[in-house]
Amino acid sequence: MKAFAAGLALLVALAGVSLLVGVSQVSWGALFSPTPDERAIQVLVISRIPRLLAILLVGTSLGVAGLIMQMVARNRFVEPATAGTAESASLGLLAATALAPQLPVLGKMGVAAAFALVGTALFLFVLQRIPLRSALVVPLVGIVLGGIIDSVTTFFAHRLELLQSVNAWTTGDFSTVLRGRYELLWVTLGLTCLAYVAADRFTVAGLGESFTTNLGLRYSRIIALGLVIVSLVTALVVVTVGMIPFLGLIVPNVVSLLLGDNARRSIPWVALGGAGFVLVCDLVGRVVRFPYEIPGATIAGVLGSVLFLHLMLRRDARVG
Amino acid sequence: MNTFNKRPSSVFMSLGVVVALGALAVGGWRVMNGPAEGPAVPAAARGRAVTHAQGTTVVPEAPRRVVVFDLVALDILQALGVEVAGVAGDQFPHHLAPDADAKYPRMGSLFEPDYEAIHAAKPDLIVTGGRSSAKYAQLSRLAPTVDLPMSGANYVDTVVANTQLLAGIFGKEEKARELVTALRQSISALKETTSTRGRGLVVLVTGGRLSAYGPGSRFGLIHGDFGVPVAAEGLNASLHGEVIGSEFIREKNPDWLFVIDRDAAMGQQGGARQVIDNELVRQTTAWKKGQVVYLDPMNAYLIGGGLQAVKNLRDQVADAYAAQAGRVSGP
Repeated sequence: MKAFAAGLALLVALAGVSLLVGVSQVSWGALFSPTPDERAIQVLVISRIPRLLAILLVGTSLGVAGLIMQMVARNRFVEPATAGTAESASLGLLAATALAPQLPVLGKMGVAAAFALVGTALFLFVLQRIPLRSALVVPLVGIVLGGIIDSVTTFFAHRLELLQSVNAWTTGDFSTVLRGRYELLWVTLGLTCLAYVAADRFTVAGLGESFTTNLGLRYSRIIALGLVIVSLVTALVVVTVGMIPFLGLIVPNVVSLLLGDNARRSIPWVALGGAGFVLVCDLVGRVVRFPYEIPGATIAGVLGSVLFLHLMLRRDARVG
Repeated sequence: MNTFNKRPSSVFMSLGVVVALGALAVGGWRVMNGPAEGPAVPAAARGRAVTHAQGTTVVPEAPRRVVVFDLVALDILQALGVEVAGVAGDQFPHHLAPDADAKYPRMGSLFEPDYEAIHAAKPDLIVTGGRSSAKYAQLSRLAPTVDLPMSGANYVDTVVANTQLLAGIFGKEEKARELVTALRQSISALKETTSTRGRGLVVLVTGGRLSAYGPGSRFGLIHGDFGVPVAAEGLNASLHGEVIGSEFIREKNPDWLFVIDRDAAMGQQGGARQVIDNELVRQTTAWKKGQVVYLDPMNAYLIGGGLQAVKNLRDQVADAYAAQAGRVSGP
């Protein structure tokens, strides 16, 4: 509990720093002086706070989604993006851009989310038809399905000369987050809470189908719930800011290394770690080439791959 | 026993592979060397040597069947009044012939030439450039090929050089001189207008993301040639610009905001207006004065180096300034 409080304090401190970093001048002095700087407050309210909230929401929800995915699939190296959901959302965004470019941002989000749901439903449908001899089949099916959907996206994007746009919206980037442009992400908070409520079921499911059934629980239903949460979170993140690589892989792994596989215990930690990871990536991306930016996803890719390699080698040393 | 049986056959297999590879290599070598002896020599007898971006090519006098793999070249040839025998690509800006679909036989895409179609068209000149420059080597085996350089730092100078290069091949020097003089004059007139009317920022929107471009970049002609003073100093001339947020636009507070909507590749308005229309950009002088100019994406992005495209862009910018001025009107 003490450790968690310390972690939380660290995150709050980071969040405070994040509010001050940006092209416009914002300082605590200007905000809390007797005559507050109106421009600074505007920037804070319109741009900085929404950006911070988006980062925290994305970090927590993607981290928890990764944890659930790994428990449900009983595979340590599964990511939320391996269900074809990210690819479906991307295809939906492409369809909206090509067919109805005038659609407001919220409308485009709606279309993409609908596509993502259909893609996930397809994933669940395919999973039902395939004998799951190994937990590895789950992510493999997802990767194959994602690849097929992605090829459709690429084909149309190539034809419509929108390949670069697709690339832009699949790379996680918080630079365009403003008040009124991220609010859909609040839904992920609800999904994260739902995951917490169902945490014990995921822990049990993580012990296997026969074990779960022996305890009188419906294994398939838990799996389905997990996948719905995972895919909805992923879809929401993809349509609002784009995908953050490695997050769903690294944070849950580090936490389970330290705390074990009890989901109820680890979800708060995963949420904290995910938020911290994204916050650090975004901060680095904002500072490195100031006043320009590097997408947070790019930083996450660099940091993540290093951490991931370290993790794999460590794990091998212990288990292997 | 089994492994013993397998051994010799695998040896034969690898021997076969080696022989086959050798045969291929010899054949390939012949193919590589074949064409060089063929068409190049007779063409040299009657024609002129043209120096271009990828070397010197001997081009026949007044070529009649021209296949074009570059929208910039198509733009310039059309301005010069040269008919072409085939073009590459799927989409054509309105000013490059609304009847393009019916008019031009297709020669594949800018990235993947349709070699059969080119062969059937029997071109006596192929023009590549920009996106198709990478295919120069392959295409130059089919017919004399000229590659136009990309627009560099001196934007309009490159356009002029390309115009003169193509005009030289087709004996249209007189026409080219007229066009170039008119273009230069209209641009210097615009420059006088823009230099005193506030600083500008060029922003590209794609996939909901913003990137800024400075002088010397692919959209550098706004500053360098059109003379709009720079609102954001220190932007490098990188190909894909610098990723920025709306805070950057507000902080630099340009008087003129030039927006290129990359997603509007179809020539309609894409999503850029929604991205630009936000609480931070609304605080800029450019927004308050109604000085946000959405540059025609075809002219600005797709065929940036075309003579007509540059002229159209100039006119669009001049119109925007004239509309705002009332009294100070661009020509």
